[in-house]
Amino acid sequence: MKKFLFFILIPICSWGQPNCNFYLYNKDTLQYKACKTVEYVPFYQYTKQYQEQFDRALKICPYFAYGYKAKSTAYLKSGDFLTWKYLIDKAVEYDTLAYIGYRGWCKYQFFRDYKGAIADIEYLEKKYNSISIGYSAGGEYHLIVAKSVCYSALNDKNKAIEVLEKLFTNKEYNVGPYDYYQLAVTYFQVQDYVNASKYLNKQSEINEIAENAYYKAKIAKINGNDVIYLAEKNRAIQLYNDGKMLFDDYTEHFNKVYLATIIKE
Amino acid sequence: MYRNFLLILLIPFLAGCQNSIKNLTTTTKSVGDITYNNTIDKKDFTLCDSNNIKQYHNNQKGLEYKGEKIAIIEEFSQNYVPVKCSNCDGLIRIRFIVNCKGETDRFRLISMNEKYEEITFNSKITKQLLTICKSLNGWIPKKIEGKEKDYYQYLIFKIKDGQIIEIMP
Repeated sequence: MKKFLFFILIPICSWGQPNCNFYLYNKDTLQYKACKTVEYVPFYQYTKQYQEQFDRALKICPYFAYGYKAKSTAYLKSGDFLTWKYLIDKAVEYDTLAYIGYRGWCKYQFFRDYKGAIADIEYLEKKYNSISIGYSAGGEYHLIVAKSVCYSALNDKNKAIEVLEKLFTNKEYNVGPYDYYQLAVTYFQVQDYVNASKYLNKQSEINEIAENAYYKAKIAKINGNDVIYLAEKNRAIQLYNDGKMLFDDYTEHFNKVYLATIIKE
Repeated sequence: MYRNFLLILLIPFLAGCQNSIKNLTTTTKSVGDITYNNTIDKKDFTLCDSNNIKQYHNNQKGLEYKGEKIAIIEEFSQNYVPVKCSNCDGLIRIRFIVNCKGETDRFRLISMNEKYEEITFNSKITKQLLTICKSLNGWIPKKIEGKEKDYYQYLIFKIKDGQIIEIMP
């Protein structure tokens, strides 16, 4: 029963504000005390006050993993890979299962460290031996999709396809908002236009974006279908102008296509 | 006696624990703040509100540049000359301020190898990156609550064999 509760609680206390009672339940009074000091932090992540509040928590408990993760965020967002890595490694060292997936995602998202991201995600997969390993920090990508994207970036397109096709056959998996698009582009890159079209159409059904229409235009052009090519190209431009494209506040999605590229097509 | 003996035994362990926590005291008002340095920064670079410099992601519009990021990528692909060198793999971050008029200054650089270890890149690479970075003139001032704001922006260059292979964010 205790083990079951533990696994249930892991995701809850992983990346967001932890539930301090979780530590108390595990009789870890030091982490509980540290946690209580940061239950309410009325400062922005970047500020000296925020950082100092977590410094005080870490003085109480030097192995308070969440404290390191919380401190690391401002460094991540400001592109300071050196300090971020030091802090997030501490979080992973003291609570590996809670933070290694997050670290893997951030390695990919902010620093395009594809190999590093794959290593962290595969570590989790081996530990859990299931697909229940979590999502990206923003929730748009399952970590296995992120792994596929990393393989694609490393030009291992077949592996990227294999990972996603396998994931999509898992009945427990709920398809994410850009999953079909990412797989479609990978198929396009290996010149499998039949499967690329299949997944572009699936993407249209769940969440239409400019990039999706752009690739449909490219395939129509390859097939010599000028009417569809022009229609899809114009639709891509329209979708882009309507703000329906891949977008992230901090970084760029993999396989993002710019408006200038669509117009030039 | 037994207590004192235990304490002596524990001293190296406790000292080791303390040393393992790197001193990351934030000396500036916020993480990543860049203070004026009269030896490297422009004297005539002015800010609308030096007490309230935003971050590039504060208005939820990401990187804002005329012609989008691809215009920046094109600037670097046209002007950066790859440098033949060994051990030239890793990331270089250039952080700077875009003021409320879209002008830039206070460029600062950090770099690392593929193991996230701080390194110094060949100056033929970093000088080029800084020069091109300083020449970029399409930055769009961030509009927050109806007003143009000063903000911190960064560009990270992924370098492989002296060539730029990706630009972030």
